[in-house]
Amino acid sequence: MEPNPGTLAGSISIRSDQEEAGFESLQFREEIQRLIAVPPENASSFTALLELPATQAMELLHSPHSEDGDPAPLSADSLHGISDDHKSYISSFNGNLAFPSNKALVERAAKFSVFASGENSPETSLVPSNSSANLEKVKSEPAETDSNPNSSQPLISDPTVESKTQRSAKRKEREKKGKGCTKKSKNETSKDAQKLPYVHVRARRGQATDSHSLAERARREKINARMKLLQELVPGCSKISGTALVLDEIINHVQSLQRQVEFLSMRLAAVNPGVDYNLEGLFATESGSLVESNFPSMVAPLVCPEIPFNGNRQHYQQQWHFDALQQPLWGREEASHTFINPENSLLSYDSANSASLHSNQLKMEL
Amino acid sequence: MRSPSSLKQEFLKRWMRGLQRCTSSKKDMNVLERKKVIKLSADLAIASARNGTTSWSRALIANASRDNDNRILAERILGPESDILIKRVSTSVGTVSCNRKIRSKKILKRSCNSVRRVRKGTHLPQKVLAKSIAKRLVQKRTQILKRLVPGGEFMDELSLIEETLDYIAYLRAQVDVMRCIASATELINHD
Repeated sequence: MEPNPGTLAGSISIRSDQEEAGFESLQFREEIQRLIAVPPENASSFTALLELPATQAMELLHSPHSEDGDPAPLSADSLHGISDDHKSYISSFNGNLAFPSNKALVERAAKFSVFASGENSPETSLVPSNSSANLEKVKSEPAETDSNPNSSQPLISDPTVESKTQRSAKRKEREKKGKGCTKKSKNETSKDAQKLPYVHVRARRGQATDSHSLAERARREKINARMKLLQELVPGCSKISGTALVLDEIINHVQSLQRQVEFLSMRLAAVNPGVDYNLEGLFATESGSLVESNFPSMVAPLVCPEIPFNGNRQHYQQQWHFDALQQPLWGREEASHTFINPENSLLSYDSANSASLHSNQLKMEL
Repeated sequence: MRSPSSLKQEFLKRWMRGLQRCTSSKKDMNVLERKKVIKLSADLAIASARNGTTSWSRALIANASRDNDNRILAERILGPESDILIKRVSTSVGTVSCNRKIRSKKILKRSCNSVRRVRKGTHLPQKVLAKSIAKRLVQKRTQILKRLVPGGEFMDELSLIEETLDYIAYLRAQVDVMRCIASATELINHD
């Protein structure tokens, strides 16, 4: 059993040779595309959000070292299909998806894709692909689930046993699913639950079937799905298991962000004693896309309005665009670091420095 | 539609406008007042950007307009469309306060039940004990989170998590924009 986890686990995690991984991804991509044919149209639903991490995870996993090329078009495409509220989350953790912690992410993505498809495709057709997608995806086949007659045999080539500490929790769940050919297709999205009159949940083997516990289980699954999203959003949370600890991290993150806002507003207040926030003219002339890329050129006229800044604008645009893209990746420091880090976060500012120096020279001359 | 950069742009625009409206009148403010104004205008900027679609934005605006001295400031910052916004917020806040009474009764009942259950089970098996402990931990943390997210005290878990997601995205955008501007002005003022 020893060599198997290595080879098969390697095929799903980041590897140098792409053929095997490509093959696996083809298989799985077919599955996913078949399963999630419908949800992408439903742009306002939660499933679009849920399944996209799966496909994106697949893309990003198999091209892990492409930094700008792949994630950018992916995000461009995927952003069209998502509801407005959640686009910020997707693009903000686009970068995060390419980082290690792939197995857990892929598993989670598999679960999401399965669940996301579950509410749209009919239950029966979902069943074999459901359990098969799960089993094939996760790649750990304990001996018990081999006895699962329906769907595992043709798809799983060789059963592998992954490290038990990693997979035990998930495996127990799948065993429950696999044992009595239990089928579970459910509707995980809250928005679609509001649209559909019923939530289609079939009881797992050995669990109560009255409506109360079913409803509560559906609700709990919804909550877990949101919690996973939160985990992906907050950095460093994806490795933590357990709701209480994850909530701890989230609380810490929110508190640190709030403290940063306090400090930054204090800093701004201290810095600008005589700044005249006279930006009407600037906003009138500039288009929306340039606003963000022109921070220094906007702020500088406040302080030294008589200097023409048009020549420097092009220069700033590139720098600030790069900087704005980098900020989401870096903006995680604790409050204590904000005072130290402005130079770090503005790495691209070197040439901007020289330009501002130049402008100040002009001021001196005048 | 609302990618982070467009969120930041929107936020920046509204914030600058609000600050402009506010500082045009008062010229001599000490640091604390200025800080308050900056923070307030930033909050209102992003809250008005959401236009009352999310609960925390509504709560922010409601908090801002609650005490009278802030209210004048807030109204001025929000500008001409302030009364529409405030009206919308107040209507939603009214329903929230009704829900509050119902929810507080539910919470009271639930807490009584849980206390009763725990007292009975001094000889409970380990698993159930562990579960109840874990549940209590999670409950404590959700309480804290409810206090952190504005307007979060009267929400159930599901919407609380959604609000937190949105709120975190907003906080990040705010921090990024403020940091950019702060460092830009510092660099320029440095020389």
